[in-house]
Amino acid sequence: MFTRFCAALSKLSLMLAIVGLLAIIACVQYQVVGRYIFNDTPTWAEALAMLLVLYVTALGVAVGVRDAGHIGLESIITLLPVRFRLKLEILIHLLVGLFGWLMVQNGYLWTTLKWNDQKPMLAVPSGMDFLPLVIAGVLIVLFSIEHILALLQGKEVIPAWN
Amino acid sequence: MELTVLCISFTVLLLIGVPVAFAIGLASVCTIMVAGLPVAVVFQKMVGGMQVFSFLAIPFFIFAGELMLHGGIADRIVRLANSLVGHVRGGLGMSNVIGCTLFGGVAGSPLADVSAMGAVMIPLMKKEGYDADYAVNVTTHASLVGALMPTSHNIIIFTLATAGMASVSVLGLIVACLIPALILTLCNLAAAYGVAVQRGYPVRGKFSGWGEVARSLAAAIPGLLIIVIILVGILSGVFTATESAATAVLWALIVTVVVYHSLSWEHFLKSCAKACKTTGVVLLLIGISSAFGYFMALYEVPQKTGEMMASMTQTPWVIFLMVNVLLFVLGTFLDMAATILICTPVFLPICQQFGMDPTQFGVMMLINCALGLNTPPVGSTQFVGCAIGGISVGEVMRSIWPFYGALIAALMLVTYVPAFSLWLPGIVLGK
Repeated sequence: MFTRFCAALSKLSLMLAIVGLLAIIACVQYQVVGRYIFNDTPTWAEALAMLLVLYVTALGVAVGVRDAGHIGLESIITLLPVRFRLKLEILIHLLVGLFGWLMVQNGYLWTTLKWNDQKPMLAVPSGMDFLPLVIAGVLIVLFSIEHILALLQGKEVIPAWN
Repeated sequence: MELTVLCISFTVLLLIGVPVAFAIGLASVCTIMVAGLPVAVVFQKMVGGMQVFSFLAIPFFIFAGELMLHGGIADRIVRLANSLVGHVRGGLGMSNVIGCTLFGGVAGSPLADVSAMGAVMIPLMKKEGYDADYAVNVTTHASLVGALMPTSHNIIIFTLATAGMASVSVLGLIVACLIPALILTLCNLAAAYGVAVQRGYPVRGKFSGWGEVARSLAAAIPGLLIIVIILVGILSGVFTATESAATAVLWALIVTVVVYHSLSWEHFLKSCAKACKTTGVVLLLIGISSAFGYFMALYEVPQKTGEMMASMTQTPWVIFLMVNVLLFVLGTFLDMAATILICTPVFLPICQQFGMDPTQFGVMMLINCALGLNTPPVGSTQFVGCAIGGISVGEVMRSIWPFYGALIAALMLVTYVPAFSLWLPGIVLGK
């Protein structure tokens, strides 16, 4: 049940990330079009692109955690006996989850702290810059728990969408 | 004390297998807690490190590379390379080098290069009687040139890593990488030819004529134009580097959908999904590295490393050699982006102190890190090549030396002859 929920969440995150990525490209292209065709460089386009990339990164980071896409050293774990390997793998997911939790905590802190300030080029609160930390953090915590449960049950987490 | 915590926690986390970005993040959190500062600073630095406009070029280049990977351009480039050099001894090896260089220019990533070109060339070479280890070594080494091409997102990563230390422009580094890329290709061609002669691979057919060259060039040109669009776009001032990268994505879409009709909806979605995931992984690393870099600067890691190295020797060429060896060792364990982000703040100031230009340092670092992609224990390009060739890393390593030698020769030329990386930017950009 939890795995199905996480799989659906991961797929949804990736879909939203794709929409975000295409929107960023559209923003940057619109900036070029605005400059050369309408003779008016839209100031919001760059600011929006830079805000959106934070959200795309957050979603990509979280899906990367679920699909084990993050780069790390694995050669040492493979040298260990299976018994230790399992414990170490659980520890790694715990540490990743811990960092996710720190992202939630501190992201929330900055978001609320900066919510009343407005971004210079875009009519949105500056706190929006830090909201992706909260989103990524929540997803990372969920996906790390999923990985730990799967390890304890001797199962593998299968990427939702490849 | 804080510096010890930073170094030890990072090393331990990395060694037990925590992904690099999270290892950096947790080490930074440990350090800031020991220093008695609020943990929130780490996350503020992290988001701050992502707020640079040129940063956007990275997902664009990754995306364009993914589109080109599935877009059917590899076959056309193989045909062009074959028509040019397929008739000489070890012809397919030579074609492979030329093909990988051209595709590297289109995709800007060694991994995409080896995946696309390897999938076409390695089985073909095996079918034609070439040994699997030769086929894999030629492909994996030739594809490394992708890291130096104008579409390489690692170029952008390096310029971001130099922030606050030196002013290296994206355009300057793109132009500076062109001649070294050519040198790398020539070295690879020499190695491929040398081994082909030594193993007595046959001469296959005759030169197919300039007509065939022209036809295959015409077929490959729409894909290859991506390099021209980026270079001309930025050089003429029409685009910024970021805008040119966005245009590269658009062009990649036009070529694969309209011109080649080779990109299915399924492949498009696959490319998008892969690009988003890679973007997340790489951009997190960049963001968190800016927090890490902040601590390294705060605790004077570059100065201390520099003093330590200077106490051993005062001779610049020895210092550069030491830096290269250290980079190489780290590069064998870490991914290219991670090595660039972690090592640039440490080694750039030292090399600058001994007279190396930051742009030249960038080119040297890119080649050195690329070498790590073909070296166990963590050699992602080599791993993909071996998987395609159906051969073990051990077997490939036994005959790797001529190819390694070619890369090391290119690396040494770039390290010790500044003109290779600085002459062209001087002419083109007037620096």
